[in-house]
Parts: sequence; C-alpha cells; structure tokens
Amino acid sequence: MFGFSTYEYDSDGFRECNVTGLRIHKSAEDMVKLFGLTAIVALVVGGILAIAVAMTRWEAVGMLDAGPFYKYLSMHAWNLLIFWMVFMEIAILYVGGPFVLGRRLSLPSLAKVGYGLMLLGAVGVNVAIFVTSSPNNAPLLTSYVPLPSSWQFYAFAIVFLLGAVVAALPFFATIWWERQDNPGKTLPLVAFGAFVTSIIALEALLGGLITYVPTLAWRVGFIESLDPVWYRQMYWIVGHGTQQINLVAMVVVWYFLTHVLAGAEVVSQKVSRIAFVMYLFFINLGAAHHLMSDPGVSAGWRLWNTSYSAYGAVIASMIHAFAIPAGLEAGRRAKGKGGGLFGWLWSSPWDDPGYSATILSIVLFGFLGGITGVMMGQMQLNMTWHNTLAVPGHFHATVVLGTTLAFMGLGYYVLRLVFGLDWILKPLAKIQPYLYAGAMALVCLMMMYLGVLFGVPRRHPSVMDIPGTEFSFEAAQPFFAVFGVSAILAIVGGALFALIAVGTLLFGEKFSLDTASVGDVDRVVADGGDEDDEPVHEQSMRGTFVLTLVFLATFVVLTALNWYLLSNTWQIGP
Amino acid sequence: MSSPLDDPDGNWWDRQINRRETIWLGLSAGWAVSLFGWMLGWTEFGDQNNIGQNYKVSPERFQEKVSSFKDTAGTLTVDGEDYLVPDGEDIYVGAFQWGFDGLPVVVRPNQTYKVHLGTYDVQHGFSARNESNLSQQISLQMIPGYEWVLEMSWDDTGTYQVVCNEFCGNGHRSMHGKFLVRDHEEVETGADAGDDGQAEASGPYDGWLTSSDNGGAADNFDGVVDETGSSSVTVEVGADGNGGPFANAPAAVQVDQGTTVTFDWVSAGHNVVLEDAPDGSDWTGVDSLEGEGYTHEHTFDEPGVYKYYCDPHLMNGMKGVVEVV
Repeated sequence: MFGFSTYEYDSDGFRECNVTGLRIHKSAEDMVKLFGLTAIVALVVGGILAIAVAMTRWEAVGMLDAGPFYKYLSMHAWNLLIFWMVFMEIAILYVGGPFVLGRRLSLPSLAKVGYGLMLLGAVGVNVAIFVTSSPNNAPLLTSYVPLPSSWQFYAFAIVFLLGAVVAALPFFATIWWERQDNPGKTLPLVAFGAFVTSIIALEALLGGLITYVPTLAWRVGFIESLDPVWYRQMYWIVGHGTQQINLVAMVVVWYFLTHVLAGAEVVSQKVSRIAFVMYLFFINLGAAHHLMSDPGVSAGWRLWNTSYSAYGAVIASMIHAFAIPAGLEAGRRAKGKGGGLFGWLWSSPWDDPGYSATILSIVLFGFLGGITGVMMGQMQLNMTWHNTLAVPGHFHATVVLGTTLAFMGLGYYVLRLVFGLDWILKPLAKIQPYLYAGAMALVCLMMMYLGVLFGVPRRHPSVMDIPGTEFSFEAAQPFFAVFGVSAILAIVGGALFALIAVGTLLFGEKFSLDTASVGDVDRVVADGGDEDDEPVHEQSMRGTFVLTLVFLATFVVLTALNWYLLSNTWQIGP
Repeated sequence: MSSPLDDPDGNWWDRQINRRETIWLGLSAGWAVSLFGWMLGWTEFGDQNNIGQNYKVSPERFQEKVSSFKDTAGTLTVDGEDYLVPDGEDIYVGAFQWGFDGLPVVVRPNQTYKVHLGTYDVQHGFSARNESNLSQQISLQMIPGYEWVLEMSWDDTGTYQVVCNEFCGNGHRSMHGKFLVRDHEEVETGADAGDDGQAEASGPYDGWLTSSDNGGAADNFDGVVDETGSSSVTVEVGADGNGGPFANAPAAVQVDQGTTVTFDWVSAGHNVVLEDAPDGSDWTGVDSLEGEGYTHEHTFDEPGVYKYYCDPHLMNGMKGVVEVV
C-alpha cells in the first residue's frame, strides 16, 4: 500500500520478518500502515495546535483570546487524546493479533469500513469544532452538559466511535480463528495483552456511544434535559476508558520493544498475565477518580471505587513496573550483556531511538504519570488537584511521556520493519527521544507545580489578569516561563519525530540488517532461541529490585507531601 | 527463555517466580492497602473531607435560596467594599455564567459554616484559595440541579479568592468571587436587616434596573435616555458594563410611538427576553442566544413600558427597558 514498502510477499501473501521472526501477511500489514500513518497525521495536527495552546497559557506570549483558545484547545485534545491514540491502537491490535500469531487479518473489508468511518468521524469532529459559533461552545474533551456544543460535533464523535468498534472486529475474528485452529495453544504474551486491550477498548467505545447518542438527542431537542451527573458518570467511561487503552497498549509495546531491541524475556508468564487480567477487571473503575470532588456521588461510592482501582489497576501497573525491567535484566544477564548491579542497563543500546524512547517512557510514565494519578485518585487529595493545571500535568505525563513516547519508539520500528525503510537524519533520530522526553517532563512538572502549589486553574486562556479584581496568579509567573520555554523545546522534539517519519517514507533507503543495527541483540542466536540457558526466573533481578524500591520510596514521599499540603488547608466536611 | 512473541512452552502457570518479584508483589499490595486505609482513616480523623449532604434541586429553586440568603444577610463594609454577613451558619453560593452569586461574604474564624454550592445554568467549579498562601487551595465541582452542602471552618484570617475552574463558556476566565475571614463587630442580620431592597425598589420602572431582586442591578443604568423625536433608535446588546460585556446600552430608552428600535449585538452569547410588556404588544424579543453582528428590529406601536433582560447574564444586571410614549 502507498508504494512505500520495500518488502515482497510470497504467493500466499506472507513474508518473514528477519528481525522479529514474525510471519506477516499483507492484509494485516497494509492496514497497519494505513492506521499508523493516519495516527501520525493526527499527531502532527495536534502537535501544531499544541503551539497555540502552550503559547497562550504562557502569558508572556499570550497568543490567543478566549474564543479561539478554546477551539484550538478542543482540537488539540481530540486529535491527540483520541485520534492519534485510537488510530495507533487499532494498528497495535493488528500487530498484536495477526502479526504475532502469523495469520492473515480476518474480515479485512470490515477493517476498511471501520477506517472509513473513523476518518470521517475524525475530520468531522475537527471541522465541527473549528466552525463552532454561539450559542454553541467549544466542547473541549469533555463537552459537559448542559453547556451546548454543536450537534454535528456529537454526531461525528458517534461516527468515530462506531468506526473504532468496527475496526476492532477483525482483530477479534483473528483471535477467534486462532483459537479454533489451535485450541490447546496459549496466546503469546503480546497477543494476550493486545486481546485485553481490545476488550477494554470495546468497553470504553460502547461507553462513548451510551454517552453521545442521548447527548445528541438532547442537543437536537429530542430529549428535554439530561442529568449532568449521569452524563459525567457515563462520559468518563469513554473519557478515561480511551486513556486506559493507551495505557494497556503502551505496556504491550514496552514488552514488545524491550524484547526485540534489547533481548528482554518474560520473567513470569503467570504474573504478567495476571496483571493484564487485573487491568481487565479493575481499570475501568479507575475512571471514578474524575468524580472525587463531585456532589452527585456518595462518599461510599467514591471511596469504594478509588480503593477498587487502587487495589486492582495500580497493583497491575506496579507488577509491570517490575516485570518489564526485570525481563530486560534477566534477558541481558543470560546473554552475558553486563553484570554487576546495573551493568545490564548501562550496556543497553541507548543510541537506538526505539529503545531509548521505550525506557524513557517506562521511567517517566511511572515516576511522573503513575504516582500523580494515584495521588489525585484519593478522594480527599483530589480536592487539591481537581481541575487545576496539575491535572493536565498528570495526563501529559501519562499520555505524552508514557504513551506517545512509547508509540514513537514503535513508530521508528514500523518505519524499518513494516515499511522496510531506514531512518533519514540518523544522528538527529538518536537524540530525538531525549530532547522530547526531557523537555516534556519539564512541561509536566511545571504544570503540576502550578496546579498544586499555586492552584492555577486549567482551561483558562489567562490567569494574570482576572477582570474585575486586583487578584491574579502573578506569583506563578516564573514557573510559567519555564513551562513556556520547555513547551517550545518539546514541540521542536515532536516536530523532529514527524520530520524523520515523513522524510523516511519519502527519502529513506532500503532497510537492511547488514548495514543497520537493531538494538544490540544478536539476531542469529535470537532466531533459534536459547533454550539451553538456565530458567529465566533464576537470573538475578537485584538491579530491578533496587530501582523499584527507589520508585516505591518516591511514591511514598510524594504521597506524604501531598497529604501534608492538604492538611494545611482549612477544615472541610464533617 | 521466554519470549513475549511466542506461545510459552510447557506448564508456564506452575513455573517458579523469582523471589524478588514475589517480594515486590507483597510490597505493592501492602502499599495499595495502606493508601486505602489512610483514605478511610482520614474520613474519621482528618480535617479535610469533601463529604457533605447533597440535594436535588432545580436551578430556579436554588436561585431563590441564594436570594433569600442575601435578603437575610447583613452588610459589613471593609475597605470600601460591602460583604454579606450570613444570618446564621448557612452560606449560599450560586455560580452562573459568569460570576458567583452570594459572594462576597465575611465569615468569622474558627466557626463552622455550612456552604451550599450550586449553579443556575451550566457546570462550574468552586476553586478557593487563601490570597496570602496560594497553596492553601481546594476545588469542588458545582453541578446544575444539585445543591452540595459542605461544612467549612477557617483558622487563618485573610481574604480568600474564588475562581471558576470548570469550563463554562468563553467568559469562564472572568468568573471571580471572594470571601473574607475576620472577626468583626455584631452586624444586624435577619429578614429586616439591610433596607437596600426597598430603597432600590424606588428607582424607575418599579426598580427593575436598580434593584437586585430580579437578577443583578444594572449598574450601567444612569438615567433614561430620551430619544423621543428620533425616527430610528439603536440599542447595543452586549456592550461593556456590569463587569464585562454584559450591558444593554442604553439600559433605558424613551421613544415615540411608532419608532423602530434596532437591537445590535456587539458581543456574543446574548438574548433579549421579555420580562413585561403592555397589553396588546406584539413584540416577542429574541429568545435564542445570538452572536456579534446579529440585529433585531421592532417597531413599537403600543405605548407603555417594555422590560427585557439577557437570560445568561441576568445575574450580572444585563437588563433593559424601552418606554414608548
């Protein structure tokens, strides 16, 4: 498709990948390219809009007034949180299913129909937001009723969600046929994780339809009113649910890339799979943390749901936080790549952008995104976080530092292994993940400080002059300056990725293992497997253990600090 | 070895787990239980809990409650600014596009108040902070149709600033209110405290423009503009005034019978809703919210007083009168 690829298929439409050893069918690969490229287009559009958003909030620049700011903020949110992610996730499902299982994509025509609907929905939502005019409001991501947005916006959102459901069906069919053909076989971990992702995705997308269909009916006057509390509860099934798909898809990518690029193994199939099953059961209720400072739900409901998600989904994430670096450590120790406490880590292929993006994603997601998410998910702490700039700080740490970075890492290898083209501007590609991650981490930290320490609200074009009062958030200005400069650097880092990706498609040379290195794994050995080694669980995981203890200590200290801050506010509640 | 891309060999379920991974599982579970226990314990022993009675109440009913709160409140003037002194322990805050009704309020330190949060239109946020210590801040969601009652008590005296932090339309950033925590002399409160209600009712048109009994007072009103003798008259809808683009200019205009008045929208999100018109009038106003550049014309043939307001900005005092003589 597109004539970009340099690979050829046999008469059955299959080819074997000489890096991963996967047997790949053209039907699946075409769709992966289509969805992956569309995702990158959404990333570029959303990234350009990030300039407008960040340069408005940095009031030294103060780019836009309220009206255009809310429009561009809405489009920024929908393109990056929804379109970039969901298009990419469908591509990941087709990799995790047909690619990993060595099958053709079942029901390929449904994949095309789904793609068409998704594209129509995505373009429609963008246009609907762009032409918003009074009495309609820009929807932002949440479009909370009863603040009206245009009916076209709700309609195209429904079309997009329907399309995504349809596009997920070929994946389910592929898994179903695999089970029919090999009833006794266990799915490989990556396919299993993709399967869990797809079920969580389906829950989220159906939640979205439950939300938007009645909302559309209300907007066109078919229903007189909608209970805003009902809307909030239903909306967050899709609002947070789609971000849970990101999370699980990202974890799958972590397992995949650490294995392919640096020889990671699965240290315990049982533990890692149990963690995925815990996501399946618990993660959707994590969405309840959006309602922690709401009047409409009881304290019991809120406490139960935060505990439920804390017990279930947080433990699952903490399991992966150990299992993935441990897999890397064990796999590399077994291959003799570095001894000592951290030798396996220092020696790893840091100059491979696929690898560095993955490791940065794991570390930054955990330390910045994960910890903050758990903190604001505690009912009382939520009061100091709710709707402050710290909330976007948190989800930029999860979605940008975590998911986008991991997907960029995957993107580098989609270019090589799916399109068969080697990167242009290699020296720049090597530094791109560091630039992007470093700058973006600063952006996230600044937003968190601004939100929690200064109480700066999110969703405001300006907070330095509030009409009708002397009061303003001027004290926060130095943090905004760091925020603004880091945001520019992060956007440059993001643009660099887009440049390399598009440039590689247009001008990249044929990728070949003879001239390019892929991580630092010896392909000849990897291909045959190394069964003669001692069992993976007998490798030392002491380096990982130390790292995770540092993580836990950080977690405890930050949580304690946040509770201390809360205890300094006035008395609220019984 | 065990690749994530291949189906695992043999009995993978019973394979041993590394001792350190087992310890980590225990630590994670212990930490999750601690987080939950702490949160639960804080509801008993902690001083900050976003827990309170919640009632279903229509926005109109809640607005009446805020009005009667204001009626019974006394007034304390501090540094030239009037603060409401609650009659008792209840404080009502009604958020609307774009302001906080019921504020500013003065409260005494170390005394427990019941703060009733609600909204008149869309969702808003009650985001309050101590002006001299910005990290002393909390946010609570305000949802139309619900009244949330939270007990609050302040140790630190000073000014607390309130902004909205739920997106509520293009004027979101302009929402602001405040309350003052300080000791003060006794102020008379109760049903016949404050006589300003009656005083303002003595303004023209039964006090429609000057009183805050129906929405806010139209502060931009400074006398009736006499346009009798003019054949065409223009009223700007959404002109600057009343704390934002929330004014009809002129607020009150006198015209001859048969004059055509043009309502010219100069900012977005306003309508012209009739409060009162003489019998026999065929003027219906403009119920839909319109944007900048929209115009509406009407020829007033029936003599009398026509009162109108802008629905979203009634609380700001966006009211008007056309008097036909």
